[in-house]
Amino acid sequence: MRLVVVMVAIVVVVPLLVVPLLVVPLNAQHGRYLNESKNPAIGNPESISAGAKLYTTSCAGCHGPDGSGGRGPNLANRALWHPLSDEAIFNVIRNGVPGADMPPTKLPDGETWNLVAFIHSLTGPASENNVPGNVEAGAQIFWGSKAGCSNCHAIGGRGARMAPDLSSIGVRPLAAIRESILQPSKDLSFAGKEAVTVTLNSGASIKGIARNRSNYSLQVIDSKGVLHMLSAADIKEMTISEKSLMPEDYAKRLSREELRDLLAFLARQTARTQEAR
Amino acid sequence: MRTLLFCYAFCSLLSAQVQYQDIVKGPAENWLTYAGNYQGWRYSPLKQITVENAKLLAPKWVYHVPNARGLRSSPIVYKGVLYITNSNSVYAVDARSGRLIWQYVDTRAKEQSVNRGAAILEEAVYFTTTDNYLTALDRQTGAFLFSRKFADEEKGISSTSAPLAVKDKIIVGSAGGDSGMRGFVAALSAKTGEEIWRTHTVPSKGEKGSETWAGGIEWGGGATWLSGTFDPESATLYWTTGNPWPDFTGVPRKGDNLYTCSLIALDLDTGKMKWYFQFTPHDTHDWDAQSWPVLIDMEWKGQMRKVVLHANRNGFFYVLDRTTGEFLRANQLIDKVTWASGIDSKGRPILIPGKDPTPAGNWVCPSVKGATNWMGQSYNPGTGLLYVLTLEQCGMYTSSSQEPIPMKNFPGGGATEEGGQVILRAIDPKTGKRAWEYPMTGAGRMWTGIVSTASGVVFSGDDDGHLVALNANTGKHLWHFNMGELLTASPVTYEIDGKQYVAIASGSAVFSFGLFEPAESMPLPKIKVN
Repeated sequence: MRLVVVMVAIVVVVPLLVVPLLVVPLNAQHGRYLNESKNPAIGNPESISAGAKLYTTSCAGCHGPDGSGGRGPNLANRALWHPLSDEAIFNVIRNGVPGADMPPTKLPDGETWNLVAFIHSLTGPASENNVPGNVEAGAQIFWGSKAGCSNCHAIGGRGARMAPDLSSIGVRPLAAIRESILQPSKDLSFAGKEAVTVTLNSGASIKGIARNRSNYSLQVIDSKGVLHMLSAADIKEMTISEKSLMPEDYAKRLSREELRDLLAFLARQTARTQEAR
Repeated sequence: MRTLLFCYAFCSLLSAQVQYQDIVKGPAENWLTYAGNYQGWRYSPLKQITVENAKLLAPKWVYHVPNARGLRSSPIVYKGVLYITNSNSVYAVDARSGRLIWQYVDTRAKEQSVNRGAAILEEAVYFTTTDNYLTALDRQTGAFLFSRKFADEEKGISSTSAPLAVKDKIIVGSAGGDSGMRGFVAALSAKTGEEIWRTHTVPSKGEKGSETWAGGIEWGGGATWLSGTFDPESATLYWTTGNPWPDFTGVPRKGDNLYTCSLIALDLDTGKMKWYFQFTPHDTHDWDAQSWPVLIDMEWKGQMRKVVLHANRNGFFYVLDRTTGEFLRANQLIDKVTWASGIDSKGRPILIPGKDPTPAGNWVCPSVKGATNWMGQSYNPGTGLLYVLTLEQCGMYTSSSQEPIPMKNFPGGGATEEGGQVILRAIDPKTGKRAWEYPMTGAGRMWTGIVSTASGVVFSGDDDGHLVALNANTGKHLWHFNMGELLTASPVTYEIDGKQYVAIASGSAVFSFGLFEPAESMPLPKIKVN
């Protein structure tokens, strides 16, 4: 069932997102790299833009139009689980992966570095890109009832507290934010996402998100944002959901424009808004 | 009925928050300010751990703070959650199990430095960053509430102290005094971080006090890098101030250099200075006054008097009237003081000539670390004693004729120290005499604090990295635990479900101790996955 949902999400949503992602003028990026390359293409908007065009024609077929993977690995989330240096990416593009489907290329150095710059940009903070969309309209979607984001999430102290605080969500890569909206159950590795329902020996029940869990204790934030710290000795039974508590229907619930606007709003959330006097 | 229902909902909401009155009451199961109570006592009424059973203390949990070195944070504890800070970060830990609940790391502050702790008020936990943002976080979830900049690092100012939450205000200080800056204490709105008032510790040119600066007033220092104390009855803040800059040469700044190396009393609502007392006029040894102003009421010449106790880095222990700032008495805090023969009747040091730093070096006692420093002291109303970590150490002070340039980390000379011994001393504030002392082995590094309890136990770090428990009446050793690292923070004590804990940060982790209990086998939890 879960697989079906994921596939539906990819089939339905990804094509809608290709254009917005690729037209983003991507500025200087600082992803989770082993080290930052000194090559001038990295972080250069023109190089990134040129790399994006190359990517669309040469790479998107396997790695997905937005870098989210297909026959080839996911490049947008790659740095989260397998950080590579820019030089290593360059070498993979140049030499291919022997024994796999990734072929070598004969691109000149400059164009190869443009591609590297684009791939690098996929993992940079969304806040450093001028993510397109109507920010004000995105805010209304966030705070409004159609998306209902603020029923669980907060920004700047406004909204509910059970789900992860989004006051600084703009530091995440755009692709990661988008995936969290469209496929919230795809990656539960981020802290504070595991949905639990606990029945206590007293008969009381608590439903929420486990901030921490061991064989001996459990720390849960419930839907009202109240923290419960429990000893395993007090717990009669616990149910852990493989799925996020977040609704999985945003691909249907929101139009393409609404999703774009919401992303534009979220990309600009960087917490420290009061600048130096 | 409806009113009752509303009251029930509203009152339970309030009861789940930290109210100003809760802080006024002082610690019990919770520990709500850096020093436990507003008066700076580091004293707890908890009694489960006693002189008799302290030998049964055992570690309950350890939480390793990510990337931490030399932690100086004193924990806050509220409703079973312990909050500890590191540079630009806060960690909320289950105070019973040591498990992390949430963390907040400000990745935008460029500098890493020490951080001495957080404050808590209503639903928010407050801390400051090295680039002078006051940040408020939801105490239960860590959700970001607001962050507001209150000072400019381009003017040499940083922030390391634990904020103090009082009524609707968060009081913050300023660090950076050894590189040139102008110190201040500021009150910010607890709701928004907006500035309510700011009082500088060095006057502007032409202001009262500026006549005590022949030069250098613009970058005169007077940092306020330690939290202060507060008297709820008179709504007065007591804050100590740092040394003048450049530290080791007074040539560019002849005069007393007010209000550096002082204790200042400020009106909570306006920030107006009610009085000041300068311990070390025209300091040239980096003996800032960053040690706790401890507020007690005690008998003085047959009458009860509201006083402030202050063990100063310059080697003397002072008692002042905290309503007027009147000097009452000073005693020598350590055995060897070579720069002043005593304190005169007005509270001014009686200088011994020739003790300023020189280009070739001048050997003076106490050392640059001071006779004591910022480590938390403890006043115990049960024993009537003040417990202070002291350092018997001398040092070489050199001066430089180099032109001081602000914010270039040039203190106008330098200082080294040699040998020395840390001694925990119990002082009777009524006489200034020592009731007992506990000498320690170690390298004379002395950066940990003290907490004492109603059951007559004193907890302190020693100079060798042990947490020790002593008899508060006699100083007799009761228990110790090797923490494996130099201790640079102060202990606290709290209670959950009727069990008392003692927590302290080592260099890189927080430890919590309690009385030994045999482990009970726990069945594996019944977990369903859907």
